[in-house]
Amino acid sequence: MKKILYSTMYSFKEIKNSKIFYSFLIFALILISGSYFVSQTSFISQGRIMVDFSIFAITIFNIFIGIFIGSSIIYDDIEKKSIFLSITRPVKRTEYLIGRFLGLTVAIIFSTIIMMLIFYFVLLIMHKYIVPFKPFAGQSKPAVTHLKSIHGNSVKESKNAPNKSIIQKTKAKPFTVYSLPQPLIIQALFIIIESVFIAAVALLFSLITSKALASIFTVLVFFIGNVSSKMNDLVRPVKKIIGGKIVIVHQANHLLTNIVHIIYTVLPNFSIFNISSEAAYKIFISAGTVFYRIVYGLSYMVLLVIISSLIFARKDIS
Amino acid sequence: MIKLKNTTKYFRVGFFGIKKYAVYDLSLTIEEGKVTGFFGPNGAGKSTTIKMIVGLIHPSNGIIKINGYDSTDYRARLNLGYLPENPSFPRGLKGIEIINYYSKLLNKKINKNEIYDALKLAGIFYAKDIHAHKYSKGMTQRLALAISILGDPEILIFDEPLSGLDPIGRKEFKDIIFKLKERKKTIFFSSHVLADSKELCDKIAILTGGRLIKNEGIAAIEKEAEGYTEAKLNLSKNRERTQGTAKPEQDKDYLLIAEYSTPLEIYLYDLMRKNKKN
Repeated sequence: MKKILYSTMYSFKEIKNSKIFYSFLIFALILISGSYFVSQTSFISQGRIMVDFSIFAITIFNIFIGIFIGSSIIYDDIEKKSIFLSITRPVKRTEYLIGRFLGLTVAIIFSTIIMMLIFYFVLLIMHKYIVPFKPFAGQSKPAVTHLKSIHGNSVKESKNAPNKSIIQKTKAKPFTVYSLPQPLIIQALFIIIESVFIAAVALLFSLITSKALASIFTVLVFFIGNVSSKMNDLVRPVKKIIGGKIVIVHQANHLLTNIVHIIYTVLPNFSIFNISSEAAYKIFISAGTVFYRIVYGLSYMVLLVIISSLIFARKDIS
Repeated sequence: MIKLKNTTKYFRVGFFGIKKYAVYDLSLTIEEGKVTGFFGPNGAGKSTTIKMIVGLIHPSNGIIKINGYDSTDYRARLNLGYLPENPSFPRGLKGIEIINYYSKLLNKKINKNEIYDALKLAGIFYAKDIHAHKYSKGMTQRLALAISILGDPEILIFDEPLSGLDPIGRKEFKDIIFKLKERKKTIFFSSHVLADSKELCDKIAILTGGRLIKNEGIAAIEKEAEGYTEAKLNLSKNRERTQGTAKPEQDKDYLLIAEYSTPLEIYLYDLMRKNKKN
């Protein structure tokens, strides 16, 4: 376990210092900062445009990090022979692989946090889309308001009630702390899951093919994974009322329907991690949805890492 | 102790996956506390054999045991240090950061002084705070050597440790091997430079075309070599005397004797040349 941790830290340091990581991070930061200028092209919904544009930039650059660093993290080690000194130590190959992968995961989390912080500061400066941060507001205010609405103003708040003091303290504050709305924070979490997921796909491909092909295959999986659910919806039989009867109408031929359905079932569905519309309209994401999607992403990731480690354990490194 | 028993390695090449043998039916014992030189021409299978020993490559057939463990088992490497040919390190990390990381991968606790000692012995202590990607080839080789001797392993395996080094670097590297030899380490190193054989080795193994053609102690081989060279020299002289016309510059045996300084080198060279597959 300790060896995995050391490998993780070493890999993170290595990725953090790599040119490709820096380049993606800088590009993303430029795009996020530039989202203000893009939003100025519209007279309405400037905040929404900023959010949409920035979320797109954060997603795409983290995906790039996942694809390009994921496909080279082990492949380059073998090509440059730097792996020779590592796995000839008393280390299991699985430990090494997991360590490298976790290092990349930490790098993705790090880059997402940096990007989200810049995004937050841009929103803070523009004073758009941010919400006042009230940690106890959800517990105190509605309860009192609810009672008052039933019994009128006769409801007296207890002198020693902790909620009152908290509210007073909040009011007494000279400045308000603003935070990002819940869907934006969830979107950031989903970006991390999606990027790490993509990195796991790239890592697997890089163990069985070249770096360039691994990147291409990963892009294809990402693309198909993003459109497969829409494709599946398009070819799915629909119920229609024809002549007063409910009739099932096939919109495409059976073969195409089956192919699309197999692709939809086998390949991961990446579209579930994209909640940019909900984020742009500040629609609350339920805990159940978040939990289900995280479990979905993590299970796929674990499966991919297990397959990768099985391949890596049998691989001749020369 | 390292034991290779009927070890074979083939790679599948081409569209039809035709077997190409890199090492064929190799049986070899690397004795404890001795320096064994592993010689052979380019493409003989030396690096493949070494990679099989250190667990980078899985043998197609046969068994490799290190201190009783299979070479693919990570426990076989508990007491083993490996110096690869042309080592490299990732960008952006200092020498000290790299060696610190490798020290953590060992199963024993390595303190700062031990790390410094390894760096000093390898002669790279002065550059420990410089980024490794700025190192010269010799410096990179030294850092890799420091990593391989970290934790004072009993077995040291060096793959072409002297290749690409300048004469001063070669001399210094040889001195390090001598120091390690004094400490009674089991050293197994590959080389195609025959001049390294006599001064460094206790035993010599020669591999050509994936097959082991010689595996003996240095004294026995030296004795054999002296007799062989003498016979060759006599043959050359006889040819010159009987034929009369042949100039010494045109005689193969004469040229060989003139090129190599010691009978051992002449013998080893001839042995490799004769067994090399064209």
